[in-house]
Amino acid sequence: MITFDHVSKHYAGHDGPGAVHDLSLEIPSGEIVVFVGPSGCGKTTSLKMINRLIEPTSGTISIDGEDTRKRDPNELRRSIGYVIQAIGLFPHRTVAENVATVPHLDHWDKQRIDTRVNELLELIGLPPRDYAKRLPAELSGGERQRVGVARALAVDPNIMLMDEPFGAIDPIARERLQNELLRLQQVVRKTIVFVTHDIDEAVKLGDRVALLSAGAKVEQYAPPAELLARPATPAVTAFLGEARLVRRLALIHLRDVRLQPVNGSAPKTTVAIGGTLRDALDAVLRSPDGTVAVVDGDRVAGVVDGTVIRLASQ
Amino acid sequence: MSVFRYIADNWDTLGPQIETHLFIVAISIALAAAIGLGLGVGAARSSWFGTVVLAVTSTLVTLPSFALFGLLSIWVGLGNPPVIVGLAMYALLPITRNTRAGIMAVDPAIVEAARGMGMSGRQLLTRVELPLAVPVILAGLRQATVLVVAIATVGATVGANDLGQPILAAIGRSTGTLDAVLAGIIPVAAIGILADLTLAALQRALSRGRVAVAAT
Ligand SMILES: Nc1ncnc2c1ncn2[C@@H]1O[C@H](COP(=O)(O)OP(=O)(O)OP(=O)(O)O)[C@@H](O)[C@H]1O
Ligand SMILES: [Mg+2]
Repeated sequence: MITFDHVSKHYAGHDGPGAVHDLSLEIPSGEIVVFVGPSGCGKTTSLKMINRLIEPTSGTISIDGEDTRKRDPNELRRSIGYVIQAIGLFPHRTVAENVATVPHLDHWDKQRIDTRVNELLELIGLPPRDYAKRLPAELSGGERQRVGVARALAVDPNIMLMDEPFGAIDPIARERLQNELLRLQQVVRKTIVFVTHDIDEAVKLGDRVALLSAGAKVEQYAPPAELLARPATPAVTAFLGEARLVRRLALIHLRDVRLQPVNGSAPKTTVAIGGTLRDALDAVLRSPDGTVAVVDGDRVAGVVDGTVIRLASQ
Repeated sequence: MSVFRYIADNWDTLGPQIETHLFIVAISIALAAAIGLGLGVGAARSSWFGTVVLAVTSTLVTLPSFALFGLLSIWVGLGNPPVIVGLAMYALLPITRNTRAGIMAVDPAIVEAARGMGMSGRQLLTRVELPLAVPVILAGLRQATVLVVAIATVGATVGANDLGQPILAAIGRSTGTLDAVLAGIIPVAAIGILADLTLAALQRALSRGRVAVAAT
């Protein structure tokens, strides 16, 4: 667990309440917590105070109850994965050498490093046979970002800090990387602090979302479904925007929805029961008569129409 | 060409002069590299130090070599030593300047990633910044070498037995002047070109994956 206890950061020569003002927050172990908020609200500053790339002006950050100031900063950073938007792969080192950076700093033997690097490259879907010896310049943007993630995972840290890691990647590759991160998290179960200013990304990835406003003021700290269903302050409503309810549909699974029974022959348009209400809405809009069959394999589980969606979303 | 006959006829004296010339250049460049790298790293780390160091090293190259060698010979004696020290002073500017520029040109994202992964300042320097700055540092080393190979001829005036000697000996003589001057100039040019080509090849070989940064 990472705990922010009345943490503030004032940059020298800057007036006002500070980049981060009196932030208190608990980040539970094994969860993805997303910091989301407008540009300049203090997300990056808050994140970098966790691994002491930035030192707080006041307040305490502790990891599992231990004040981070008691630890050697370099040793602390080696024990925390760190991924940034610009990635910062070492251009003169191969993919394998990049991934081996922290094991190297920690003096692992060569055999153990090789095994670990291969394991990680497999995990992120870049087969070592093809990719280990390449230089970063020989990778696509998405591949580079995956190497950045593998490099951060190298010594199996409990905590990962990710600052807009997918910010500079096109929407399709971005969605794939998000799905991969979720899949990876099923396997690795890290405590992940993820910064973004994209609310869709926050809602998709976060077990909890901290919506921040200027000075890293916590407007609301809640699971995404709750954030979308019950915005706590006008600032949250404003940030979530007009599409708040449509966004929320993506969090409601069809399995949990009370469907209408099939009446006569089932509608031609179908949606799989593994999907969400958002998928169902899309199908309803495509359907000639506004009704959609929810199918579970060959079986029709029920029917969805506009009324079902409206009732289920309330 | 009579100059080549002249060189062949005078090989007994020219041979050792070429040797001395190479020796002086190698030692002065090694000295300047050792000091210049350190100064360049310091100059990249601290902006006031960088300003001071660049001002001083820039001033050094404006000193006339004839005067500098003469002045230095008062302290370190005649012969090779004042030339070596003086040439190292000239070589300091390109090496220091390029070391600083090469380090400062490293992408800040790479530095942030390195620090974020827990590299110490020394590890950051030796594993990331210097390796990435190598092409730019070598460009500085090249400039310094070419410069020093030529200026070393002036060392003859303070008694260094280098390729300045045939040129010096020819000055004021009435016959065979051109051959004697060329006998000094041709080997100097050959050494300069060879050194330049060698360092250029090294620079290319060591630039793997690094973004080319123009030497400033
Ligand atoms: N090194 C610095 N010196 C002075 N002020 C800074 C520094 N870094 C950030 N700030 C200021 O602190 C505030 C918070 O910056 P921060 O980088 O944490 O924002 P952010 O939420 O990450 O924004 P973005 O979404 O644009 O990345 C901003 O007003 C910024 O101008
Ligand atoms: Mg930021």
